[in-house]
Amino acid sequence: MNGTDLVALGPLLALGAAAVVTLLSIAVRRHQRATATIAGLGLVAAACALPAAADVAPRQVTALVRIDDFALLYIGLFLAAAFATIVLAHDDLRRRAEPHREEFHVLVLLSTLGACVLATSTHFASFFLGLETSSVALYALIAYPRSGPAHAEAGLKYLLLAGASSAFLLFGMALVYADLGALSFDGFAAALLAGRGTPALVWPALALVVAGASFKLAVAPFHMWVPDVYQGAPAPVTGFLATVSKGAVLAALLRLFVALGGVERPVVVWTFGALAVTSMLAGNLLALSQRSLKRLLACSSVAHLGYVLVAFLAAAPVALEAVTWYLVAYFVTTLAAFGVVTVLAGGDREADALDDYRGLFWRRPWLAALLTGCLLSLAGIPLTAGFLAKFYALAAGTSEARWALVVALVVNSALSAFYYLRVVVAMAAPAPAAAPARRVPLGAGVLLAVLALLLVGLGVYPAALTALIRATATALS
Amino acid sequence: MLRLAWLLPALPFAGFVALALLGRRLPRATATAVGVGSVGLAFAVAVAIGAAWLAAPPAGGAYVQHLWRWFDVAGFAPDVALFVDPLALVMCGVVTGVGFLIHVYATEYMRDEPGYARFFASMNLFVGSMLTLVLADDLLLLYLGWEGVGLCSYLLIGFWYRDAANGRAARKAFVVTRVGDTAFAIALFLIVRELGTLEIDEVLVRAAAQWPAGGTLAILVAALLLAGAAGKSAQAPLQVWLPDAMAGPTPVSALIHAATMVTAGVYLIARMNVLFALAPPVMTAVMIVGAATLLLGAFSALAQRDLKRVLAYSTISQIGYMFLALGVGAWSAAVFHLMTHAFFKALLFLGAGAVLLATHHEGDVLKLGGLRRRLPVTFWTFVIGGAALAGVPLVTAGFFSKDAILWEAWSRGGPVPWAVGLLGAFLTALYVSRVILLTFFGEQKHAAEPERGLRIQLPLVALAALSIGGGWVHGGFDRFLAGDAHGGEALFEVVAAVISLAGVGVAWLAWRRGLWARPDGALQRFWRSGWGFDAVYHTLFVRPYVWFARANARDVFDRGADAIAGLARGGNRLLVASQDGRVRTYVAGLALGAVVLLAIGVIFARPEPAGAETATEVRP
Repeated sequence: MNGTDLVALGPLLALGAAAVVTLLSIAVRRHQRATATIAGLGLVAAACALPAAADVAPRQVTALVRIDDFALLYIGLFLAAAFATIVLAHDDLRRRAEPHREEFHVLVLLSTLGACVLATSTHFASFFLGLETSSVALYALIAYPRSGPAHAEAGLKYLLLAGASSAFLLFGMALVYADLGALSFDGFAAALLAGRGTPALVWPALALVVAGASFKLAVAPFHMWVPDVYQGAPAPVTGFLATVSKGAVLAALLRLFVALGGVERPVVVWTFGALAVTSMLAGNLLALSQRSLKRLLACSSVAHLGYVLVAFLAAAPVALEAVTWYLVAYFVTTLAAFGVVTVLAGGDREADALDDYRGLFWRRPWLAALLTGCLLSLAGIPLTAGFLAKFYALAAGTSEARWALVVALVVNSALSAFYYLRVVVAMAAPAPAAAPARRVPLGAGVLLAVLALLLVGLGVYPAALTALIRATATALS
Repeated sequence: MLRLAWLLPALPFAGFVALALLGRRLPRATATAVGVGSVGLAFAVAVAIGAAWLAAPPAGGAYVQHLWRWFDVAGFAPDVALFVDPLALVMCGVVTGVGFLIHVYATEYMRDEPGYARFFASMNLFVGSMLTLVLADDLLLLYLGWEGVGLCSYLLIGFWYRDAANGRAARKAFVVTRVGDTAFAIALFLIVRELGTLEIDEVLVRAAAQWPAGGTLAILVAALLLAGAAGKSAQAPLQVWLPDAMAGPTPVSALIHAATMVTAGVYLIARMNVLFALAPPVMTAVMIVGAATLLLGAFSALAQRDLKRVLAYSTISQIGYMFLALGVGAWSAAVFHLMTHAFFKALLFLGAGAVLLATHHEGDVLKLGGLRRRLPVTFWTFVIGGAALAGVPLVTAGFFSKDAILWEAWSRGGPVPWAVGLLGAFLTALYVSRVILLTFFGEQKHAAEPERGLRIQLPLVALAALSIGGGWVHGGFDRFLAGDAHGGEALFEVVAAVISLAGVGVAWLAWRRGLWARPDGALQRFWRSGWGFDAVYHTLFVRPYVWFARANARDVFDRGADAIAGLARGGNRLLVASQDGRVRTYVAGLALGAVVLLAIGVIFARPEPAGAETATEVRP
């Protein structure tokens, strides 16, 4: 390890240091705003380390992580999402009047650190380490508010099921090691290419790895925890869980499968194809009758990961571009949607039931318009970020002539429009007697405005992002 | 200077965004400044671009401004680019110029409206969309503008949404034009499938190279485009929505349903004229549609009692003229008439609006009369507009543009289209004189307030000046648009002049004898109802549909769709049942998924083709 390696690792180091500094600052004095500021500055510092790291990229640092443009793009995305989470949580935590609100920020930083490690990992060890760093912090984040049993229940469920899924993951890795003696992705790939693997061991082993990862991605049938946990977690944490933790696992999977030489093998196509179709169907069908917005978004996220997997199955450069695009659009939309849910919370309860949104257009026109934009983007309506994301997924599907997947995607898009529009209709319904509304705090307001601009901006002028993603997509393949 | 082209749509859009977001909080004066100013600035930009163009036309006769590439995925890369050529410039000038005058007028007309900012927001959105439509370099962007103006038309027809009838009229306009829009969309799909691009110039080049003249594809695409154009431009058989669209405020009728949006179909065909030339049968169809519509509209206009409905049918009829010209291949004559028509029809609508303001929205011409003295400015400008519409020779713009169409109809289409056009010209003169006589002459039957101020009168006077002066540029216009000038035959000009004057004379005679106020005959009722199209459609489509819906109350035919919904619901119940909140169920799901994935892994694990021998051997 030399100086250049340290520069390459800069973002990760800054993030780790930020977590420690935040923790120490809490030891000195408990002050929510100060802690949030320190954590936010830590994220900014990590982001500032990105250009320097990009200068020395691509660089393999130890056998565990590789810093390249692809990883840096994802790290940047996670940092931004974490920043948004902290801004939203600031509002949420104050409303809840929790006695100990400061440690929240440390957990967010740690979970983000894990996610960033995942995006850089080229080795099963760093894969697992990143995953667990990210998850362990999430258990606590989900159960953070101690105001009622719902949060604890959600946290416990996530803990138990994530533990079970990690077991699958570890077993899969162990099988790979047993058969090939390799844990690095490149070593794995080289051994496979040399024909050293035992098919009856290697592919089931990979299947177990995929099963473990699928739990984190919440693709069906590994999705059952999602509605409960999404509903039980505080809204900013839900947003974080839906974006960062999934994006990180997806980044790692992309790296693994690109290293393994693409996705042309029938076993890979069948695995992810089956997961994609079941996820789309399960997510959309579950969402049809939801009367809770958080559960609805949870189910919708299951379906969206199904769409992403369609893009995942395209040939390498197209897949990287399509998946990354989809993720960025999904990040923006999901964070904005959960942002609206966060700021609409009033008193001691979150705005979760669909009835809370009845007549929102007349009470809170801006927030209602933003939420409508999010739902339209999720449904893939043109001139929103979600349209191009879905177009990418479709184009990726057609480019490989995977018609079954394309048909499933189209049918499911139609299905999903039903429940997205149902929320819009509820918001446009005549308003019931208005409860006194909380003002949107400045930070959250600015954040939501930025997200709204991105939501439309990415739909109208996607070229900048596309160029950025194309530049990074070559880093992997 | 041409580089400023992007400002043309951007300014009204900016005005729309400002008014839509802040409208309710802005003081009225600011809302006015934003709403009118944005269009005024756009007009200034259009004038500047036009001047720069005249001073030094760019090489190739067109200027393309690439703003950005929307996206580039899987070989499909639509650009957001503006295409400036003489045709687009003329359209921009008309849209921004007439649009600006109408905006000024509307500040007074809509003075007391609670939805003042909403009105100007919609109007700005309309102008922006219309400019996007005419400047689009790419059919996809054009379609965006096309749908945008349709949306604004819907919003503005239903502006007074508290009256259910207005909502119905807005819906009717939306649904009927949607028939055409669907055809247009299918044409776009066909074009992109067959030619692989939607960039207009490239489409035309490739179509000319790949499609034989008279080939099936060319005919199909051109026919679908014609259907789209007919829907937007209210041509037979899709004209039924326009008379009802008069439910909107009068400035809306003037801007959208007379001067600009309804001419989008003419613009589309003129823009795609190369493609239409490849499909001679469709060209004939365009001509027939135009001829039929122009007579149908003219007869209907003759029998209307409502001032605005007369003008609405007149618009249908005049756009029929433009289609007739397009059908014989005289697209520059069509665009010239489009421009002059925008001037005088906007003038007539604004004049009608001034009458309505004075008479508290009494629009029945038989109940009006003698307003000449009470509303002198309105009267004189209305007469000028009417003269232009009737094609009174030498002094009016309408004479030159209509004469150009008649001459082209004769020289390219033969005697039949020419005769139809001539008959239409006679009827036009007849109905417009009838309206003027009934409204402004004779004894005053209805109380009328004095005229409103300058903001009403200035646009009227300006448009009246254009309605007169607009025709004198004919030769220059043709050179500007098509590179050559056609002179009409003097003999034809004389015939057309005599015909239109005869129309005026007959109207006067009939008025003197009180024929216009006589009780209706069956024919008049038939014409008033717009040739019974509404009744026919009601009988042919609406009633059977409603009957069918009743007879089919149990939705036999929906069983297929119901089956999908039922499946979805069943799947939903099944899955919801699995969502029981118990961790053990969830773990079971986890295990099930793992088993399935393992099974896939085992079943599909094939030996590597590269090293088949080594791969199959089991290591100790």
